[in-house]
Formats: sequence, structure tokens, C-alpha cells
Amino acid sequence: MKINTIKKNYFDGEFVSYQITYVDSNVEKSVPLDEANSDYQAIQQWISEGNTVIDNGE
Amino acid sequence: MAIDKVVSASITDSSVTSAKVASGVLQPNFRNIVINGDMQIAQRATSSSGITSDGYYTVDRFLVENGSFGTWTQTQEADAPTGQGYYNSLKMDCTTAQGSPSSNSILLVGQSIEGFMLQPIKQGTANAESTTLSFWHKHTKTGTNIVELLDADNSNAVSGSYTQSSSDTWEKATITFPANTSGTYGNDNARSLRIRFIMGAGTDYTSGTLATTWQTSITNANRYAGQVNNADSTSNNFIITGVQYEVGTAASDFEFLPVDVNLQRCQRYYFQYLSGTSKTVGIGSYWTTTSVDTIINFPVEMRSAPSVVATSGSSYYTVYVAGNGRAIDAGLSVNRTNLTSTQLYASTASDTAGRAGIWTSTNSSASIAFSSEL
Repeated sequence: MKINTIKKNYFDGEFVSYQITYVDSNVEKSVPLDEANSDYQAIQQWISEGNTVIDNGE
Repeated sequence: MAIDKVVSASITDSSVTSAKVASGVLQPNFRNIVINGDMQIAQRATSSSGITSDGYYTVDRFLVENGSFGTWTQTQEADAPTGQGYYNSLKMDCTTAQGSPSSNSILLVGQSIEGFMLQPIKQGTANAESTTLSFWHKHTKTGTNIVELLDADNSNAVSGSYTQSSSDTWEKATITFPANTSGTYGNDNARSLRIRFIMGAGTDYTSGTLATTWQTSITNANRYAGQVNNADSTSNNFIITGVQYEVGTAASDFEFLPVDVNLQRCQRYYFQYLSGTSKTVGIGSYWTTTSVDTIINFPVEMRSAPSVVATSGSSYYTVYVAGNGRAIDAGLSVNRTNLTSTQLYASTASDTAGRAGIWTSTNSSASIAFSSEL
């Protein structure tokens, strides 16, 4: 699945996870901040390729 | 004079191998490093069509890597070699052919193994062990196929080949890989080894001589030399089952596990929590007037803190508070996730903070799973 957007999730003012949406899909992923999580690793790769994570703040 | 007994001194230790132990005699438990090698567990689905990219689709633990190499349907099949104890197999059915792949394209199915599972191989030491991969295959395309061990920790690789002699016929392959005294596998939960069943490869990977000894500096041209193109016709199927990877120079009998044990081993990497309508998510508690959360415990400790993988849409989920339904239309998110539990939360129709209700799925397409795949 091709990534559409990635945004930061905040809970009680704390950044707790990422939210991934995909093109033409009703599936979403919420990814915890764990470096051993392969989705987390993919997000860091996606960022390193010049893509931007949506951050709407707390 | 006939010998009437065999004493220990008559048998050298190196001559006693798993392959020489009769079927039914106790053999070491959990010797198969591959999980779900008999394709018994398929939590996500039993069929998935239109596969054009990398991902996990049906049978647990088996990943597809598809670099512009046709379109495929993957199924968990009720097709297996007769009289061997298997019931299922993993089938890749070509639905759009790719007869002229680009030079750097690869198509494969495989399994990634975490370092914790690989320590008995003793790789990177003077006592490093040879390993053996055995499996059954049934491919439409006859000819040579390649299996690769790709060491993700040390960027080493070794390849082996097998032959499909008769089209669409079950045949067994056994490939023994040499010991590797260079580069240890990390003793951790990260991906250390990829076992890759190559289905097709571009000329960048096939133009050399197959590397059947470990390459500590990988030459791509030597990785898949001789590989046939299983994607060159929509008539082609590529089916495998009974995949076993073990320490030693010979293949032992396939290690069948009880279905509950097999499922639990898979759930370390993927846990399908619910699928479909009218399934309980949990006790939903209103954290705020428009946000509801619940706690979910995993059945086994997962490899890493998992992602939640969930479908979402209008009224896919509903929280029933004092008999009144509060729709959840938005995506589900996680907080405070660890190896054994998570806090699942979502935006919802308004109610009073602090109230609780029953959070259920209310759409046939609802699905919640947790993934810590490699």
C-alpha cells in the first residue's frame, strides 16, 4: 500500500504515536514510538527521503 | 564372526544425524527455525488478489516482495503433497504476467527471522553450524529456482538451487548451506536473517555464477543465477509448503506443531484481534467528551511494541453508553503500547467524560489487528 499521509498523534498533550493513511484504502496504522517496530523504521526512512509528517500540535 | 551388538564406541558422534533417526523417534523440539512452515495459520485472510507490492497478505510470517514483477493472487490452499501430513500450502497465482522484467527487479516470497531464534547456528564463531532448508514445491514452470539466505546483520548472503522437474507436481527439495564463521547474528529481536524463495529476478541478479558459499561482499550478479521467470505467463502458479530450516547437514522430518502452539508463535508478530461486525472491542471509557479508549491485552508477548492495523469508516465501530450508540467514524490510534498491551483510542460522537460503554464493531468490514512483523 502506498502511504498517503503520516501525522503525529498527541494524547493529553504528549506525542504518543504516528498515524499512517494509505492511498485508496480504508486501512490506517497507528505506530508506537518503538525503534524496533518495522513501521516506525519505515516512517523514519520515509522522512529521510524528504517527506513531511503532519504535526497539528497538541 | 557376526557382530551381535553395537556399542557407543562403534558409532562416531558425527555419524548420528537427525536424518538417520527413524520417523516417530523423539527429535529435538522447536528445531524448525521457520515459523508456520506448514502454512497452517492465516490470520489476515485466506485469499488476497491484485498483489503488486511488498507485504504480508495471507499465510502468517510469509512476506511477498514484488518489484514491478507482475500481479498476483496469494491464497492459503488446501493442496499439499499426499501422505506427508500437510493440509495447506502457500500459492502464488500469476494474474498479470511480466515476461520482460527490468534488470533490477526481484519477485520472491520469504520469511524474516529475528536474531534471538538464530543463536544455535553459532554463526561467526569457529563452531558455526551448517544449516539445511527443506520444503515441498509445486510450480507450473519447470527448471531452476533459487533460495537465498540473506544475513541482514552482516550483509552476507549465500544461495542454493532446486529444480522443478515436472510441471504442477509436488516435489521435495533439500538444500544444505555451509557454515559461516564470519559475522555473528545479534542476540536481539531485530531482523537478522531473510530466507528468500526467489520467483523471478532481473539480469542484475542472474548474469553471474551462483554463489553457493557465503559472500561477505555481495555481488548481485551471483545471487540468483539460473533463476527461471515464474511470472512469464498467467498460467503460472508457484506453490510451497513444509518449509523447515534447521541446524545440521541433513533434513529431519518436518516438525508439526499443535495448531494452538503454531498460532501463538505467529502471534508474536501479528495478532488479528477482530474481523467483521458485532465483535467486542472492549469496555470503552470516555477520556474526554469526544474521545473514547480501552485497554487491549495481547495473547502472547509480541516481538516489539506493535502497530495497530485497523479499517475505519462511517460507523465501523460504536460505543453503546446506557443503551445509546455513539459512532466511531475515525481511525483508531494507540498510546502506551508495550509488548503485552496497549491503550486503543478514537474520536467518537459526544458523551460525558468518565462514562463507560461497550465498544463493538458495527460494520462487516471492521478489522483490528496488531503487527510487530519484521
